[in-house]
Amino acid sequence: MSAKRNYGSLYAAPQGLWLLLFFAAPLVIIVAYSFMEKGLYGGVEPRLSLDAYRALANPSLLLVAFRTLLVSLVATVLTLIVALPCGYSIARSGNQSLRLFLVIVPFWTNFLVRIYAWIAILGNEGFLNDALRALGVVADPVQFLYNQWAVVLVLVYMYLPYAILPLFSTIDKFDFTLLEAARDLGATKLEALRLVLLPNIKGGLVTAILFTFIPIFGAYAVPLLVGGKDSYMLGNIIADQVTKTRNWPLAAAISMTVTVLTGLAALVFLFRSRKPAPQSVEEPAAPLGVAGTSAVPSGGAR
Amino acid sequence: MKTALSGRRVGAAFPAVLVLVGFALLFGSCGGGKSADAKKRLFIYNWTYYTPDSVIEKFEKEYDVEVVYDSFPSNEEMFAKLKAGGSDYDIVFPSGDYVSIMVKEGMLAPIDRTKLKNFGNVDPAVLARCDFDPGNVYSVPYYMGAAGVAVNKAKVPTFEKSWSIFGRKDLAGKMTMLDDMREVMGDALAYKGKSVNATGDADLALAREVIEREWVPNLLKFDAEAFAKGFAAGEFWVVQGYAESIYAEIDPAKRGDVEFFIPKEGGPMYIDSMVVLKGSKRQDLAHAFIDFIHRPEMYAEFVDAFGFPATCNVPARALKKGPEWYPAAALEPCELKGDLGPALEKYNAIWQEIRVGK
Repeated sequence: MSAKRNYGSLYAAPQGLWLLLFFAAPLVIIVAYSFMEKGLYGGVEPRLSLDAYRALANPSLLLVAFRTLLVSLVATVLTLIVALPCGYSIARSGNQSLRLFLVIVPFWTNFLVRIYAWIAILGNEGFLNDALRALGVVADPVQFLYNQWAVVLVLVYMYLPYAILPLFSTIDKFDFTLLEAARDLGATKLEALRLVLLPNIKGGLVTAILFTFIPIFGAYAVPLLVGGKDSYMLGNIIADQVTKTRNWPLAAAISMTVTVLTGLAALVFLFRSRKPAPQSVEEPAAPLGVAGTSAVPSGGAR
Repeated sequence: MKTALSGRRVGAAFPAVLVLVGFALLFGSCGGGKSADAKKRLFIYNWTYYTPDSVIEKFEKEYDVEVVYDSFPSNEEMFAKLKAGGSDYDIVFPSGDYVSIMVKEGMLAPIDRTKLKNFGNVDPAVLARCDFDPGNVYSVPYYMGAAGVAVNKAKVPTFEKSWSIFGRKDLAGKMTMLDDMREVMGDALAYKGKSVNATGDADLALAREVIEREWVPNLLKFDAEAFAKGFAAGEFWVVQGYAESIYAEIDPAKRGDVEFFIPKEGGPMYIDSMVVLKGSKRQDLAHAFIDFIHRPEMYAEFVDAFGFPATCNVPARALKKGPEWYPAAALEPCELKGDLGPALEKYNAIWQEIRVGK
């Protein structure tokens, strides 16, 4: 072969530069800020301090962290429950492009406008309450808004496309004759889906979980606008520390802790889900003790 | 793991993602275009929609300049942006506590009174309250006001004009207060007859008890973003907030149903001032703008646009035509919010626990 120069790294340079400038550099700034003293009027003083990390042990902060975790878990699970059948039906339908297009269409509207649209739907004088009253289901308006369930509902709506797309793309690759084979071997419809389809689309599931759980964990605008007095989440605390209480180091320290924890969790999650090779039929069935992973490769177990 | 989108069969999902990215780029790159003409420009950094366009247009016409109006939603954000540098603003509209902070930080240029023909129009009573900038060396008052309480009279026909309204159990779940530490803490302090700038532990504990025991159980939420929209929609019946926000959202036909009051116990008040930044390259023009605002007819036009009383400009009071949401006299029991300095930490700690709840 002639010595053809390899321009690969050159072509990749813009991406590297982009990440360096807009990901690595800001991250370094946040790390640095989290270890500095807070300025009296916002900002930081260039002196080393661990005050921000000490302040993390505050019980009310831990309560918010726990609440945020709970909301994120519930919202992620609900998102998956809705996204799975959506992804499945898109993958099996004849006009995939149109259906995918419809999944994307809401993105044309600004995020905040869509939140206000939900307020218009769920409000006491909103469309839903009007409809319920017109149908005589209720006499007085139902208080849908300004509580934890409104937050979960709008979060599920917002992040649904991020779960549908990866799920669709793995389900689309799935060999559906395997389901027929499972039925031939005596599995019920549900068993076939659970024992054959689910293990085979695990990659998509993992991506969907990461793409929904992580952004939901940092949610800010949704709890602010449709949440009630008990909907204060970590994202709101971080924003308030910067914009209201002038404690930038604490905001940075909370952000760092969340980033490190979610990063670690994502790594563990990815690592664990990589191990089993669901497609291989030869692999012996894993002991049922490893519950919770849904990684039981039971292709021929029955 | 195989990331789902990196698989071989990305065919169908990929265009969708492209569309998404395309739109992000399209909308992300809008705005920020600069006109190329060489007209002189004045850069104003002000609260979101706080000076009516009509007043600015008249200034532009008379002085043949272009006014660039950037807005901020809070003093903290304004201060952080100015501190970060790189901005080229001439006039800023901070509240009193931030005027004193900006003076301390050496960010302001002194006001040249010889360039202000209309300074004499400013109410001496207001100037006397400007203890954040004694003698008004660096600032000229723009507007003195306070957050108050708006009540939907169609739903709440009788009420007392007091902070105690937030303790009414029959209105539970229909009321909001501002998501603003200084406001709500200040309200509770004033309600108990204390200074809105109190820093004593006993006073703060008392305020906290009022908020947590008497008010929070009846509140639907703390809201500083959408309270006016929710109030106009009939969602909230009693809201603590700014008159101008409510004025902007209410259907004019329904104004008769709304009462806005400043509680009789008083509460935190603000004086937003006009200041000229030290780095301003257009000091003369900046002074001309400040002087323009205090022309009686201009000030009247400004306050009429928001339903304000003409708190800072005396001759404007005779010229203004519009209705007022609250009379200037209602501000009398109110007290200016001062800079708390390091004691702010105490407020932060209490407020965080109130906001987090149980």
